[in-house]
Amino acid sequence: MAKNKKNSRSMSRRDFMKGFGSGVVGGSIMLQTLHAAPPPTTGTFKDESNRVELTLKVNGKLVQTKITPHTTLIELIRDKLALTGTKVVCNHGECGACTVLLDGRAVYSCHMLALDAHGKEVITVEGLMQGEELHPLQEAFIEKDGMQCGFCTPGQIMAAQGLLNEHPHPNREQILKGMSGNICRCSAYPKIADSVVAAAKK
Amino acid sequence: MSPTADHNLHVSGTARFIDDIPVRRDTLYAAVLTSQKAHARITALDTAAAGRQPGIVRIFTAGDIPGDKTIGNIFQDEPLLASDEVVYRGEPLTLIVAETMRAARMARKFINVQYDELPAVFDARQAYDQGRLIAPPRTFVLGDVDKAWPQCDIIVQDRVESGHQEHLYLETQGAYAYMNDHLLKVISSTQSPGAVQKMIARILNIPMHLIEVEAPRLGGAFGGKEEQATNWACLCALAAYNLKRPVKLVLNRREDMNYTGKRHAYTSDFKIGLNRDGKILAYEVFMFQNAGAFADLSTSILERSLFHAANSYDIPNVKATAVSCRTHLPPNTAFRGFGGPQAMFVIEAALDKACHAMAMDKLSIQGKNLLQSDSVFPYGMGAKSDGARRCWQSAMDIYQTDSRQKALTTFNRKNRRFKKGLALMPICFGISFTSKFLNQAGALVHVYNDGSVRISTGAVEMGQGVNDKLRAVAARVFSIDEERILLDTTSTARVANASPTAASTGSDLNGMALKTACEIILSALKQFVARCHDIDDPEQIILNNETVQVNGQSIDLSWDKLIQEAYLERVDLSAHAFYATPHLFFDRQTEKGQPFAYHVYGTGVVEVTVDALTGTYTIDRMGIVHDLGKSLHTQADLGQVEGGVAQGLGWMTMEEIIYSDEGKNCTDTLSTYKIPDIQFMPDDLQVEFIEASGRDSGLFHSKAVGEPPFMYGIGVYFALLNAIRAFRPNAETYYSAPLTPEKALFMLTGQNNKQNVSEKKLTLEKKKY
Repeated sequence: MAKNKKNSRSMSRRDFMKGFGSGVVGGSIMLQTLHAAPPPTTGTFKDESNRVELTLKVNGKLVQTKITPHTTLIELIRDKLALTGTKVVCNHGECGACTVLLDGRAVYSCHMLALDAHGKEVITVEGLMQGEELHPLQEAFIEKDGMQCGFCTPGQIMAAQGLLNEHPHPNREQILKGMSGNICRCSAYPKIADSVVAAAKK
Repeated sequence: MSPTADHNLHVSGTARFIDDIPVRRDTLYAAVLTSQKAHARITALDTAAAGRQPGIVRIFTAGDIPGDKTIGNIFQDEPLLASDEVVYRGEPLTLIVAETMRAARMARKFINVQYDELPAVFDARQAYDQGRLIAPPRTFVLGDVDKAWPQCDIIVQDRVESGHQEHLYLETQGAYAYMNDHLLKVISSTQSPGAVQKMIARILNIPMHLIEVEAPRLGGAFGGKEEQATNWACLCALAAYNLKRPVKLVLNRREDMNYTGKRHAYTSDFKIGLNRDGKILAYEVFMFQNAGAFADLSTSILERSLFHAANSYDIPNVKATAVSCRTHLPPNTAFRGFGGPQAMFVIEAALDKACHAMAMDKLSIQGKNLLQSDSVFPYGMGAKSDGARRCWQSAMDIYQTDSRQKALTTFNRKNRRFKKGLALMPICFGISFTSKFLNQAGALVHVYNDGSVRISTGAVEMGQGVNDKLRAVAARVFSIDEERILLDTTSTARVANASPTAASTGSDLNGMALKTACEIILSALKQFVARCHDIDDPEQIILNNETVQVNGQSIDLSWDKLIQEAYLERVDLSAHAFYATPHLFFDRQTEKGQPFAYHVYGTGVVEVTVDALTGTYTIDRMGIVHDLGKSLHTQADLGQVEGGVAQGLGWMTMEEIIYSDEGKNCTDTLSTYKIPDIQFMPDDLQVEFIEASGRDSGLFHSKAVGEPPFMYGIGVYFALLNAIRAFRPNAETYYSAPLTPEKALFMLTGQNNKQNVSEKKLTLEKKKY
């Protein structure tokens, strides 16, 4: 899976802690906001035994939490952090609906342990928004009607962001390759490709 | 078109599907234990050990259902939970409810089920031979085929097979149910909230008014949530009603693929006769439908196969028979096209075979036999439109098929390894539910006193853009900005007795009801203005672009002001309206009538390249001319055409469901069941919309769009055969979809993995019962 390949540019854990400067002090304030989030949606996390510490940054916020080691990244994102924009479709790393950015690269969040994101930065579809402002990619998907039922859309957008991080001006071949890990059963593919092209121009 | 509210929610990740809804306090989670055998008697079902597992709250079995034990809208024959006998792998046996999803799923292995296995049948023909039918066979007849055969210069016959197809809606089946005082609220991912409400009422033995079923939005459905969302909603409701706590039941992907039905596999025998000039004189077909274990919607799907048996062709003598056969597979169900594609594949195969035998160009034979305005369908309805011919001719012109054909011949002469093939696929699809009573819809419109509008209909938004179309309808009647209009979620509390959002009729039926409801309010507003301004004829008043005009002159009255004044003068600003498609009738004794409001026509052109060394292929081009009438929303309609085509291409090429000899689905993941991805799409996909026949169409002269484009995909099978024949002219081709690269390679290398035609015993006459 090219998508899950470790990013050579990724920060070490030490850089990460340094990067947050004031670090945990500021983090604890953000942690309170996260804890005030809606309750978990699937109940996976009622198992209290055998939990380990995890620190990572999600959508710009520092997250410090305890999880069971087998928790996948998507379970952390959806159930613990209540960021339900990221979807579970196959839970096998086969469809791309769960795509998020890990240190800027698109990864399947159902197919990796949350612990593998320790010390890293995760961006989900919710994290693309700048306050109430839509991200250019989100705007492009609306303008080009790059969706039908919308269920795969968050994954498509994150895959597209991963693609644009790597190739800011992708050619057709790069778009097809970069987006081929994301299934859309409504088959809005032509308009998804148009959306990526439009976003690259923004 | 303004961006819709839903689009904004989707791109920001804030659109909530069932599994995204923040759960209420004390929510419980449910999982289902299903049969591990295709056919067996249950000799023991012991849940005691599972019940003692941590977190388990209750395990339900069939005995715990207070009302009807079975569900089903046409035949109520499907047990909600099996008790004595199981008839397919994946049939629900028990419902486990626990404090966590993990606990519910884990407890399954502690339930002891003892099976006494019984013989199982998976093949439709075998089921037919054993008399295992869902309903007696039906036959549509036009003219007399037996008298026509002697006049034919050539007669060919063969067998045609098409496989199951998984819906693979990305949002799996699921529901969330809770009690609200004494009312039961069920949020369900269903195309048929009304049917879900009715079935819950029956299994719980309570009146329908105690139950509200809401479908906020669906993450894809394609027919797979028309009938088969009901089981899960009923199970969820059963637990919530009993335990008085919220219950969530969402299948995971593998469960969904194993427990739910697919597009029906068909196996058919045909006989077709033409004269020397290429005119089709007679066509006879016998279709065996693999219905699975229960009736589901199989009989209606079978009926549509009969309606579309002759596709877009005018054939004077037709005899089409079809039978729904009961097997030990999950009950197969609706899927875009609803039996139409299976039947159209057969007649296209028949024409391919005949043309190949006569060494005639299939394009000219197809074109020659297309429906004309005075043609009559085998079910007695007149075509009354030359749409088939107009679309065909436009496709030939726009995509320059003659010169493409020549270019392909040149390419094939110059290349040894790669061969190209081209095919045209005409379609004709009837619009209406073929069960007449379903062709009804209601709409509820509220205009609030600040000028904003809120609309409820029975239509469920599942990506097809019905909400956008409905918003456009209301904006057009009131002549106001679409931003003022909100589409409500679909709820049985707001619109009662709604038909499923299916059969491509969602916008037509609900849009017509909505149009009438808006017109009722508009008429009240006009009368109010007439009273205030002493105008004799309210029809001199029109609303135009948010202002009131009298005899074409704007008066100083904006929409906002009009609504505010009307409210103060006690004008009713709400309306409900109803629509029932007129002039529909069908006599099932004579199998004649007028089952459709109108037909949608079109022609697809497809070009492929086959690698003769490996059997792999690419779809290079697709050109489509589609009869859309006057589109209500061109972007949404274009998406429907492109999406439908992709699913049709998938069905014909790569989507292959394989059941083991024990009835186990061996293709229950996305790594074993492949669907089209962005790379599979044709490099060049062009869609042209034309108004082939405006007179007989639907809402504001638009036409339904959901299902018909699926059938353009069928063309790819014949384009591939043509490319294979370019490599090996005497290749033994056969008709067994999907034409996977493996099958293509068999044909290319001259190996035969199928029985010889002469060995096949074809069935064209039905048995006597």
